Amino acid sequence: MADKISRPLPLILLMWGLAAIVAFLILFPLWWIFVSSITPAGELFSKPIKYWPAHPTLDSYRYLINNVGLLPKITDTAIIVGLSILIGMIVSVMAAFSFARFRSRGLTIAVGFLLASMLIPDVVTARPLYDFLRSVHLYDTYTGLILLYISGLLPFSILILQNYLGDIPVSIEESAAIDGCGFFQSMYYVTVPLLRPALATVCIVNFITCLNNFFTPLFYSNGISVLSTAITQLPLRDNMYAVPWDLVSAMGWIIILPIIIFVAVFQRQIMEGIMAGGVKG
Amino acid sequence: MYAGKKYLTIAWILVLPALIIRIFTTIYPILETFRISFFEVRLLQGIRKFVGLENYIQIFHDSKMITSIQFTLIFVVGSMIGHIILGIALALILNMKFGGQKMLRTIVLLPWAMPMVVIAMASKWAFNNEYGLINDFIRWFSSSFNLDWLIYTNTARIAVIGVDLWKDIPFFAILILAGLQFISADMYEAAKIDGAGALGSFFRITLPLLSRNILILSIFFTMWRITSFDVVYAMTSGGPGESTALIAYRVTTEAFTNLNTGYAASIAVVLFLVMALLSWLSMSAAKRLDY
Repeated sequence: MADKISRPLPLILLMWGLAAIVAFLILFPLWWIFVSSITPAGELFSKPIKYWPAHPTLDSYRYLINNVGLLPKITDTAIIVGLSILIGMIVSVMAAFSFARFRSRGLTIAVGFLLASMLIPDVVTARPLYDFLRSVHLYDTYTGLILLYISGLLPFSILILQNYLGDIPVSIEESAAIDGCGFFQSMYYVTVPLLRPALATVCIVNFITCLNNFFTPLFYSNGISVLSTAITQLPLRDNMYAVPWDLVSAMGWIIILPIIIFVAVFQRQIMEGIMAGGVKG
Repeated sequence: MYAGKKYLTIAWILVLPALIIRIFTTIYPILETFRISFFEVRLLQGIRKFVGLENYIQIFHDSKMITSIQFTLIFVVGSMIGHIILGIALALILNMKFGGQKMLRTIVLLPWAMPMVVIAMASKWAFNNEYGLINDFIRWFSSSFNLDWLIYTNTARIAVIGVDLWKDIPFFAILILAGLQFISADMYEAAKIDGAGALGSFFRITLPLLSRNILILSIFFTMWRITSFDVVYAMTSGGPGESTALIAYRVTTEAFTNLNTGYAASIAVVLFLVMALLSWLSMSAAKRLDY
């Protein structure tokens, strides 16, 4: 490229230096959690801290699988997150389509309500919602949790999809209608495929949101245990530092490893998603 | 194209599932919260009676609650100052064009993508006096450093704010970066020709043009901060004493541990009103500053 700027060496070094500091501040704690997870419990309490264990072991991971029931937790998480994203996406595409394509006073109020309800903090509704779920026997059920997860995803998903739909001309659906498509056919075969980039972005961001959801499983389930709450429910040990740090680190690493891989793969889409919606972290 | 009664029916059918889910998970419970905030409800003793505004008055006589309000304010303000200064600095670093840019952006996304609980649990361990990462790091510079962060009010509060900053500054920086990318390179060229240095163009061009983003982001981040819960739940359990019990944490303790539901509801209503006020502020700020 003609306008490729050639920079003086000190400036390049400064850039790499700053980048290295940022990378260190973020990555080093993650490295330390990893090292703690493969250090034998006794060795964790040695001074000075060893940033590479003398006797690395997978004991804490083994303990999580055999004694804490890691696999059922992974299954629970997969069922809840998977279904929430899938059903949430269908429900939000329908709503976004309606809001982007039809006009009526009632619908305008409905959009306003959906977006405004984003402002209601979880803690404000927690107790009545808990009592309500108990009374309709949805407490601690997959159905109940999935409904709550979906509910959390709706406002952001609808907002993004609706904006994106606004840029897709209605004439595409009109020409499909001339070719003999019914309303739902043209929506499903013509419009939804065009939404694919927005759907991908929303899916990726929703995936992270669901995995990180802590409040919902903490208060609305007991027997069904997902990964994000599991880390606070590890069995305490009977020593001077009752919290089992080796297990906490291992559980932490199990939770963050998939996220690290996911972020590395979808970096660009996540960045766009965040910028498009200013998603809640 | 889509006009007429038939299409309006279809429109409502499409919206219905989303609407019903949101009504049952937000509207119904918030109305219920309003209602029970006027009752004294003690589930353990089986008490349930109308008390009017008594719960609201109690908030201002409850020393635990006053500590919570104080810390929430400190948390919001301290965290916001950190976000603005360090967040803008990080955004400028992310905006640099150099070979490692893509990798750096991926790394910066990690704290945003990780659950706060995991970070908070790990932090509890990291702030341990003898075996924690933080003190070990400080000991490189001052070898006899000793401090048990989480057992003193002030240091526990600093630790909580620090963890919140680590988790959220990258996210703030990405949103600032979005604003930075709208500033055209021509302006910097022009400033350069007029003889402005790097600092000059930062304070004369970058900062003023970002001011709207910064203001609106600050309001949003304040709102999220006011409802922060995970960090103190997993890291300090509100302690030592009640010194790090953020209001949102206090609400859940009253509602689920002390089973003092009516009182919890009144705090929740106040929290909701503050949120409503802030969102109104952010909307009018957005309108007024639109240029």
